[in-house]
Amino acid sequence: MSVSKSTLRLAAVASAAALALAGCASATESVGSTGDSAAPGKGTKAVGFIMVGPKDDFGYNQAVYEGSQVIKKEFPDLDVLTAENVPEDDTAATTMEQMIDKGAKLIFATSYGHLDAAMKVAAAHPDVVVVQQGNTISGAVPKNAGTYFGTVYEPMYLAGIAAGASTKTNKLGYVYAFPIPQTIANIDAFERGAQSVNPKAETITVSTSSWCDPGKQQAAAASLLSQHVDVLTQHQDCTATVIQAAEKAGAMTVGYHADASSLAPKGWLTGAVWNWGPLYTDIVKTVLAGDFVGSKFNANYRVGYKTGTNPFVLAGFGPDVSADAKAKIDAAQKWLGTDAGSPFVGPVEDQSGKVVIKAGTVPTYAQNDALSFFVKGVVGKLAK
Amino acid sequence: MTAITSADLTGSNPAPVAVRLLKLLPGLGRWVLAIAAALAIFSVLLAVKNVNPVDAYSKMIDSTFNRPRSVQEIFVQMTPLVLGALAVAVPARAGLTNVGGEGQIIIGAVAACGTSLMLGDSAPGGLIIAAMLVASMVAGALWAGLAAALRLVAGVNEAISTLLLNFIALDVLLYLIYQPWRDNPVGQPTTKELVDTAKLPVVAAGNKVHIGLFIALGLVVAVHLLLNRTRWGFRISVAGGNAEAARRAGLNVGVLVISALMIGGALAGLAGMIHFAGVEYKLRPGFGNQLGYTSFLACWLARHQPFPIVVAALVFATLSVAGDSLQLDSGLPGSSVNVLTALILLAVLGFTTKRKVSRS
Amino acid sequence: MSLVVDVMGGGVAGGTSIMFAALGETVGERSGVINLGTEGSMLVGALTAYAVATDSGNPWMGALAGAVAGGTLAALHAYLVVFRGASQFAVGLSLLFLALGLTSLFGAAYVGRPVVGFSDWHVPLLSDVPALGPIFFQHDPLLYLSYLLVPAVWFALFRTRLGLLVRTAGERADSLTVHGYSVSWTRFGAVTFGGMLAGLGGAHLSIAYANAWFENMVSGRGFIAVALVIFAVWSPWRVMGGAYLFGMAIALGPALQARGYEWNQFALDAIPFVMTLAVLAVLGRRTLSSSPAELKRVFENAPT
Repeated sequence: MSVSKSTLRLAAVASAAALALAGCASATESVGSTGDSAAPGKGTKAVGFIMVGPKDDFGYNQAVYEGSQVIKKEFPDLDVLTAENVPEDDTAATTMEQMIDKGAKLIFATSYGHLDAAMKVAAAHPDVVVVQQGNTISGAVPKNAGTYFGTVYEPMYLAGIAAGASTKTNKLGYVYAFPIPQTIANIDAFERGAQSVNPKAETITVSTSSWCDPGKQQAAAASLLSQHVDVLTQHQDCTATVIQAAEKAGAMTVGYHADASSLAPKGWLTGAVWNWGPLYTDIVKTVLAGDFVGSKFNANYRVGYKTGTNPFVLAGFGPDVSADAKAKIDAAQKWLGTDAGSPFVGPVEDQSGKVVIKAGTVPTYAQNDALSFFVKGVVGKLAK
Repeated sequence: MTAITSADLTGSNPAPVAVRLLKLLPGLGRWVLAIAAALAIFSVLLAVKNVNPVDAYSKMIDSTFNRPRSVQEIFVQMTPLVLGALAVAVPARAGLTNVGGEGQIIIGAVAACGTSLMLGDSAPGGLIIAAMLVASMVAGALWAGLAAALRLVAGVNEAISTLLLNFIALDVLLYLIYQPWRDNPVGQPTTKELVDTAKLPVVAAGNKVHIGLFIALGLVVAVHLLLNRTRWGFRISVAGGNAEAARRAGLNVGVLVISALMIGGALAGLAGMIHFAGVEYKLRPGFGNQLGYTSFLACWLARHQPFPIVVAALVFATLSVAGDSLQLDSGLPGSSVNVLTALILLAVLGFTTKRKVSRS
Repeated sequence: MSLVVDVMGGGVAGGTSIMFAALGETVGERSGVINLGTEGSMLVGALTAYAVATDSGNPWMGALAGAVAGGTLAALHAYLVVFRGASQFAVGLSLLFLALGLTSLFGAAYVGRPVVGFSDWHVPLLSDVPALGPIFFQHDPLLYLSYLLVPAVWFALFRTRLGLLVRTAGERADSLTVHGYSVSWTRFGAVTFGGMLAGLGGAHLSIAYANAWFENMVSGRGFIAVALVIFAVWSPWRVMGGAYLFGMAIALGPALQARGYEWNQFALDAIPFVMTLAVLAVLGRRTLSSSPAELKRVFENAPT
């Protein structure tokens, strides 16, 4: 005991010395990358992807990972670096810089909460392009950064039509994690889609305060099902629990992230599924060519049914979706693609009945990304 | 490295040093063997996952020590670990198990953030930093004090109460971030960024290492002196060794228990503030994730001794930085480094001390 | 369904995984060893059960494998603590890290794979009893097994020679030695058995309750189990009550939200933990005085 104690003490002295040395060394190194900032990311040898969860979560992160593998296939010369379970704090910046040290001059920071770290890395490395998935840069967008996303609430609106048309109890259930704008837009769009075909439909929300805690999801699903909800959907990173709970109870389900119809052959209605490959490929091409600065990706880039390249697509339909509902969904999808179409075309009332978006107003994609209230017909208190 | 540096430092009287080093050998040998065994077991796991262990280790070493930024990253990460481990060591001297570092770190950061919000951006940076230091330590101490009070009043074991308080602290953090302190209703739910003047200064421009590291190292010395050179330090170790004997000797065990745990909480609270004002600058939902538990283990690795804690924190920080290489270079899941960390700990905990008296 | 029945039924279903683990931890602590690695045992139990059930198509095989996996991890705890004299708290927490890493390393392949889990089976007649039926008798077979396990563990602990040995190891280890029994092996057995039950708890979570495997899916339930044992003053029956109470506290949030009650999300999340602390405070010194004597030594002289 006493022997090893003094060993450690010696080691402590040694490390203190090492520390002093390293302190000097790192002070002289200063910022590593100053290179020519003419075309950030041009000719990069590697592309990095950071994900907030495990790459095989059958959900959000898996969709990212699959997108990264498309890049690997499309650009065989590029080294595709992926890092999973990267937390939404400063460690994300550390991981991105490790990727930069391995030659990456293009990094996809794919979680909503990675934005701060992404902006920090972009500021420190003008020769590296950092693009962030899902969040919005407020203020001026730096030359070597951008955000991109689709409009996942558009397919959720269509799924809401399927749910509203299929429900017998007029009660739809929504399991969500946290009240972030993306989630709020999804819930609101889902309810508005349902209302558009079934004015009596209401969406009851239950939060889990976790992106993936299957035990809490089960409790949430069970409590919704006991309230005679007969269509369940969710905004969670892992989705299997809620889908199976619905199927076991004989309820219907709308999927998210991935086509899970195999888990619910009877109750599957449809869902919003993700296909990042084409958009990622587009971004990589632009950056490789040195054309990033000033491109559409050097901004808060949003695609949707209006641009025709939404990475979020509607999954296949299950047996309960009637031909009539399918026709309505089809029509609605075309309408969303027009200038007049939007899940949130006014008038939109909040839960208290106050008109928030005036009649006739068609909000922009950017405005939809900033929704912070539940619309009328949604049941639940929004933490804000 | 150890041998050379320590010999250099004490080179003036070589004979006793040589004798001491010789005496160390059996203990040192056990450490080397234990860590080698842990690495060997991890190699087997790597091989099972079709990763060449030699390859993986060499890439880990390469990306951990041969990159310009990695050394800075290690020092940045070890800073809160040092403080978090001291927060375990002080109560441990009084026979208390503080598993609540996780929560105390969060509450310390919350107090620091709240203070900065209250003072506003126009207050002088130095004042904000000083106020945050005090607030975080008081808050951490009070949070740990809850556990101490529960122990004294109701006899609730502090290992359990501090553990439960971790979960509550996380809910407090989430509530504040999503509701009253939310900076922007649209973007990512966080608090407002700390004003530049109130961020802890870094050691050199372009370097990430901030002065928190030196605060932490200074406190290592202070805690060492507190535990070993003050009457209070002696008393809590008497109380920790045998509470009954301490009582008979006229010591107020209750006060000692409360003060030891609260000082621990203050140190953890400070760790939270330093991580907030030195690295994160904002509170985010995952703030300080696992810092407390990692600190707890670092403290045990160092056997609750202040100076060895520095080494243990350094080891954990290095492993954490090395962990990224396992995924980037070897394509393993992100949590794999936990296996290596745990194996090293288990080997050290189980095989580097002589067996204690066992009454089998 | 009424709110009360809903919350109580949800509490039984959601609390069962915690109860398995807490019941096992009761046995271990009765022998004088605390195992914070219970969380880790649940985690390896959850993954192993899921993997075996998925590959074999038989949930019972899965549950069995989950128990073996949980027991194996606990045996490691017992070995290091009992035979190597290592710290109980530090080894337990290290084992949690080990379990987190191992299940991440080997669990990835099973995320999103459909599992053949346990299905709910309504007990004939009993499930039709108003209130009691939906609360207790509309669940899965593994949950019904826990109904048998509680009295069985109680009986074994307090009415058999083996139980006497375990309790003596925790109360007066010296007298066990005097009578020629091995304290170490008794503790080793008790802790390993405890880990097996924790593994079953994990199995219940992954293949009976939530029907999914996901990294770190136990998320604190094992820690809760350890706290519950003290809360329940080391009594199997009280463990059962405590686990259900905790389960109900978890079920309360969603049940209120599903009924449109406007409660703060984060306040609801904190309820189970605040409640546990409150009960511990109220029970107060009673828990301390009925604590196994050897365990008290661990708590009071924790550091070495």
